[in-house]
Amino acid sequence: MKFRNLNIALLMAAGLMVSSCAKDFLDVPSNEIIEAGDSEENYSPEVLVNGIYGMFTDWNYGFSFLGITEIISDNSEKGSSPTDTGSDKDILDNLTYTSTAGSFAALWEQWYKSIGRATNAIEYTENYGLTDEALKNRYIGEARFLRALNYFWLVRGWGDIPIQEQDLIKRVPQAEVYDYIEADLQFAIDHLPAKSKYAAKDLGRATKGAAQALLAKVHLYQGQWQQAYDLSQAVISSGEYSLEPNYEKIWRLEGENGSESIFEIQARGSSIAHGIQQYSQTQGPRGGSAGIGWGFNTPSQNLVDAFNAEKDEIRRDATIIFRNEVMYDGLKIGNTENEMYNEKAYSSANGGAGDTDKNLRYMRLGEIYLIKAEAANELGNTNEALTALNAIRTRVKLANTTASGQANIRLAIWKERRLELAMEHDRWFDLVRTKQAENAMKAAGKPFESKHYLYPIPDNQLIQTPEMTQNTGW
Amino acid sequence: MRKLFTLTFVFLLSFSWLYGQNKTVTGTVKDSQSMIGLPGVSVTIKGNSGGTQTDEAGRYTLEAAPTDSLVFSFVGYVSQSIVVGDKSQINVFMDDENMALEEVVVVGYGTQKKVDLTGAIGSVKAAEIVKQPAMSAMQSIQGKVAGLNVTASEAPGSTPQVTIRGLGTALGGRNPLYIVDGFPTDNLNSINPSDIESIDVLKDASSASIYGVRAANGVIMVTTKKGKVGNVKIGYEGYVGMKNMLNQVKMANASQYIQYYNENIEGIGRGTLLKPNQANNTDWFDEILQNGTVYNNAINISGGSEIVDYFVSVNNFTENGIIDGSKFVRNTIRNNNTYKFLDNKLKFSQNLNLSFNKSTPKPFGAFNDAYRQTPLAPVMFDNGRYGTSIYNSSTGIAGYQTAAGETTGNLNSIGNPVYAIQRANELLNSTRIQGGIEGEYQIFDFLKINSRIGGTKIFSNSRTFTDIKDAWLNGNPLRTDQEFQDLKDKNPNVVGYANNSLNYRKNEDFRWQWETFLSFDKNFNGHQINAVAGFSREKSGISNMLSGTGYDLPVLEQYWNLDMASADYTKVVNQTYYTPRALASYFGRVQYNYNSKYYATATIRRDGSSVFRNTGEYFATFPSFGLGWTISNEDFMKDNTVLNFLKLRANWGVLGNQDIPLNVSQLLTAEGSSNYNYVFGPGQDLVLGAAFGSPALPVRWEKTQETGVGLDFEMFDRKLSGSVDYYNKLNTNVLMNVQPILNSAFANNFYDHGGKVRNNGVEVILNWKNSVSEDFNYNIGVNYAYNHNELTDVKPAYDGAIGGSLSNGQITKQIKQGQPLYGWWMWEADGVWQNQDEITSGAKYGTPRPGHLRYKDQNADGVIDNRDKVFFGSYMPTSTYGVNLGINYKAIDFSLSGYGVAGNKIYNALKGTRINGGENITEDTFNNRWISSNGSNVNPGADRDSYASSYYLESGNYFRINNITLGYTFKKLYNSTSNMRLYFTAQNPFMFTKYSGFSPEIASDGNPALTSGIELSAYPTTRNFLFGVNVQF
Repeated sequence: MKFRNLNIALLMAAGLMVSSCAKDFLDVPSNEIIEAGDSEENYSPEVLVNGIYGMFTDWNYGFSFLGITEIISDNSEKGSSPTDTGSDKDILDNLTYTSTAGSFAALWEQWYKSIGRATNAIEYTENYGLTDEALKNRYIGEARFLRALNYFWLVRGWGDIPIQEQDLIKRVPQAEVYDYIEADLQFAIDHLPAKSKYAAKDLGRATKGAAQALLAKVHLYQGQWQQAYDLSQAVISSGEYSLEPNYEKIWRLEGENGSESIFEIQARGSSIAHGIQQYSQTQGPRGGSAGIGWGFNTPSQNLVDAFNAEKDEIRRDATIIFRNEVMYDGLKIGNTENEMYNEKAYSSANGGAGDTDKNLRYMRLGEIYLIKAEAANELGNTNEALTALNAIRTRVKLANTTASGQANIRLAIWKERRLELAMEHDRWFDLVRTKQAENAMKAAGKPFESKHYLYPIPDNQLIQTPEMTQNTGW
Repeated sequence: MRKLFTLTFVFLLSFSWLYGQNKTVTGTVKDSQSMIGLPGVSVTIKGNSGGTQTDEAGRYTLEAAPTDSLVFSFVGYVSQSIVVGDKSQINVFMDDENMALEEVVVVGYGTQKKVDLTGAIGSVKAAEIVKQPAMSAMQSIQGKVAGLNVTASEAPGSTPQVTIRGLGTALGGRNPLYIVDGFPTDNLNSINPSDIESIDVLKDASSASIYGVRAANGVIMVTTKKGKVGNVKIGYEGYVGMKNMLNQVKMANASQYIQYYNENIEGIGRGTLLKPNQANNTDWFDEILQNGTVYNNAINISGGSEIVDYFVSVNNFTENGIIDGSKFVRNTIRNNNTYKFLDNKLKFSQNLNLSFNKSTPKPFGAFNDAYRQTPLAPVMFDNGRYGTSIYNSSTGIAGYQTAAGETTGNLNSIGNPVYAIQRANELLNSTRIQGGIEGEYQIFDFLKINSRIGGTKIFSNSRTFTDIKDAWLNGNPLRTDQEFQDLKDKNPNVVGYANNSLNYRKNEDFRWQWETFLSFDKNFNGHQINAVAGFSREKSGISNMLSGTGYDLPVLEQYWNLDMASADYTKVVNQTYYTPRALASYFGRVQYNYNSKYYATATIRRDGSSVFRNTGEYFATFPSFGLGWTISNEDFMKDNTVLNFLKLRANWGVLGNQDIPLNVSQLLTAEGSSNYNYVFGPGQDLVLGAAFGSPALPVRWEKTQETGVGLDFEMFDRKLSGSVDYYNKLNTNVLMNVQPILNSAFANNFYDHGGKVRNNGVEVILNWKNSVSEDFNYNIGVNYAYNHNELTDVKPAYDGAIGGSLSNGQITKQIKQGQPLYGWWMWEADGVWQNQDEITSGAKYGTPRPGHLRYKDQNADGVIDNRDKVFFGSYMPTSTYGVNLGINYKAIDFSLSGYGVAGNKIYNALKGTRINGGENITEDTFNNRWISSNGSNVNPGADRDSYASSYYLESGNYFRINNITLGYTFKKLYNSTSNMRLYFTAQNPFMFTKYSGFSPEIASDGNPALTSGIELSAYPTTRNFLFGVNVQF
């Protein structure tokens, strides 16, 4: 009997021990992922801001971005092998795409996710309790600059778009989106340091000049000439920037973050390499003796003709790698599959690597001169317009423009934009903005319709949010 | 009427009188498994005290009347009673107590007689497992259990994909739960199949729910062998075998390739035409394939006494795959002992399994490369470099030779498969220690307590050496050492120009479990009550990883140490501790039966899982019920001589699934080149960044409700047995890995309950077993399972998630309500464009050319895009079936088994995906292609697009003879119990399929969203011939 009692006592003791500690036993904290609740102890706001910049290095900029900014335009063609569609680059190239083309979805998502990171970083910075007010505002300013840049891409592509911080479905009229962008950029202008005021280690961050330059462009798109003029003038006269005398050097290693550079996407080629994923590789010469790339986004004959018509050899040769060319660094390109490739994406040091040292020169002083020229021309300051325009032409050893009269000067500036900024991911937006798209596309033999003025809202978005409206014609 | 009745009665009486005379009955008693005569079996007449015993060979002779029943009994075997009737010879096969009719199956936390089950449990015993030798026992039991779908891969060391009663979830928790001797494990790869006593598959809710926690995908209970009281037994099992590809596809030869290539170029209207009659005609499959070999040797020693039972075994399994250099070696040592105290009232059982694996895997991508690489490329160029698809684009001749002014290009971007295999230099080692100890104490005669604690520790490491320079040089035969050196000098820190790299990676993993339960067993007045209650604690995934990479090592393998890497390159070190998973559970089960007629089972399990940390709501409860009615034990059935056994079963239960990672909101970061990080500063230093991940939603356990009914029967003196089961499983709240809305702030997928998945089906098993004479018996078994899988409900925002990427920008699957989970979704091929006029006026995608496939404009909007994609069923079969035949004649045994699936579709991506147009094709593709003169309206021409379409989706039906075995047993070699069996086995000798690729059986990783059902780089099914010997002393 005693033995039995002992048994029962043992059983009961075991049972009690077990039931009391289950919750503690199950509370297993994370090791390999950081729980959001633990972030403030471990991460400063700067880390969250860095994460927004990080989005620029995404593969989408390495491939889809080429499709909807250049391949779609008259500047370039799909390239690569005829059978390699590059997912949808073929239908972007020949303007037969529909709302299911993946490149639109990729960047629609990419830009909104970047906006999400920016908004989260802003909120995190505001709540973090930084005592250095200037630093706090700098972080927020960087995030707001980056958010504005992403909205600017979206609004140019799709027109009326949802403002993520307000509602994911309701499409806000374009003008209000622009107001939103302007508010972000104004904050950035008010709080970001000038390029020279940053510590060296921060080279590459958004600056006051970058915010002014972007805001100038934002006004340009809205035809707000005075603001565009004032802001471009502010950038030019800030003393922070000057034109690089040798146009072709802008895209070489020594031109990185150079005197002309206003905003660049940064990249590193040596280990641990980290740049826009495969940006140089997707556009690198395909086949031939170098064989360093996939050969997408190849400059079109139409573009070459535009250079040749202007006898613009310097910019043509800085923009295009020709078959069998010997590069400035001695690399023999050889007999490649395509006739031409984008030289502005060429990395001398890192050839066909996935991550190369290639900085993407996104905004540079050259464009600001042309914004100033265009704004001045529209405001009736013909002389100032011509001075700015000719400054750009003089650098590449072209004679001053012979255009005269507001309308002709306007066309001259537009043409100059194409040649100066070729393959810099601006052509399609410019064609749409200036309403040259229809004529230009038809001249390039592409079946342009009015629906092409706006990108289609990606089908995958509409599957998720069926209440959202599609752009007309798609 | 009454008269007729009386007449019959009289007739029957006289009939029995006739049979009332005594006569001599003889026969042999054999072990039903080994078919060896059993000496010393007691043979008595029911109700009489007299009787006899069998002799050395198992023979007996005895006088009996036709109305008598002979009772055969023997220690350790199930007694049998047989009515003499008109028979003068009665041969009996005695079943081991753990076997057959009174078969005992392992259920969670106990065992049960098979006849007492209320659920559906499929069992496979040792003898059947060893008949189909394989590395993993799961592959051996393919086709043996209805409703168990095993997709085997023949790649050395691979894990078969196992699905029980259909796929109910989209997430990682797709595998059944494996319980080996009470302890959970991930798979059976580290267990020597001949150490296994039985495998019991708990298919239905009422059986599986005792493991509620992870039971939604079914539970596989594995029991390993133990020693038995008696003399020392020594067993040896060995086999050697040879493997080769079962279903090789004939590729186009050089001249066919040239013609196809040129037609493509002509279609495109650009490029250089190839010259006919070129130097090489390489058959790449011939170059990469070899005959695989397999060797297995296992020895076991077992026995027991009143104090201790013991079982020790060692096993070596070595396989050389059909690709050169691919090798897998497994050595195991097992020791299972039971120590007995206090007249068996107290027992300690200990088991220990050590497994040492070593393998050198080779890339399956080589199969893909061998399919696509042009036959014009040689294996090696005459300058010593590996062949590439380089050709002279001025002359159209393959090879790197050019005259002045001529240029070269590549026919395709496919690598050299021989080189891909040669350069892959990976060595994997793992040591796995699995052990446990269980104490059992009989407190009262009706109550016992068991407590067991055990763990598994795995040490694994991998070493990967990559010769970067060699790969660069072999990428193009024109490249020189000096060119590489120049690049290296120009880019001193760029690892892309290091000579080589070495990665060394170490993983450690540990899991433990502690379980204690009370078992109650009492029988009073025909009421049998049997109950279990207990708790369990388990922690798994206590693991960490350490990995280092260095560059520019010495070339000789003996010096491949990271410490010998060059200082010119930064060594990369990665190390991570992973988050373990804890499970706390309480369980109970009551089984009741009255006179073996009426059965009821109630089970409850309450489980807590640490993954639900964000809510703290760890626990959920999983109940189940089962009912059974053995109709044959009712009085009104007693006299039925045709139907020996008939039982109805019904069950209902709720099962759980929680196999998602720790569900918390995260801050996302990553090392190296990820899109969280960026570079700043003049030196472009890498800075780390972070972003918030999608907020974790308060998800709970996945709950699967299952209802099932079943029927078991045995007829005609138990010669025919079988069962029929119907089940309906509804996963009521499928956890989905959801993609956030495209324009929302967060990018990473999150977990949410997104829908419902239903699996319902029928399983039928029929077995016929007959002993014609002492020397001859046979059995035939068939099993069939039908399963219907459907996503019955999806949250609108989650509908439409895509999957099945072909890695060329094309996708093939989508999640859609009303379809199977990740059903095939693509364009419907609708003939071939014959001419430009058709194209101009028709609905199209892009700018097709004549000879391209045309696609059906489903929504009739005049263009072809994603909205024209439609569903085409699933890669998952709706029907699986097995056929098993066994014949024993004297010392000869013969068995044959087959396995088949139907109702599934396979995407032949090898045929479909092309990038350059310079890839090789099969001879069939060549012969059947469209050319303008034949105007085929089915097959595309050489100039074709590479979009995913139903053209490449083929029936995945197949039937495979997966085993033919012929054996001969030499009996009484040394003493009465020693014997030796020699056998010859042909595995997968034949396959019947219309599929045009290598194998319609594609294991991949089992993830429905990925390449399951897509043949791209799948390891082909092999045909194996084995010769083996089993010896018992």
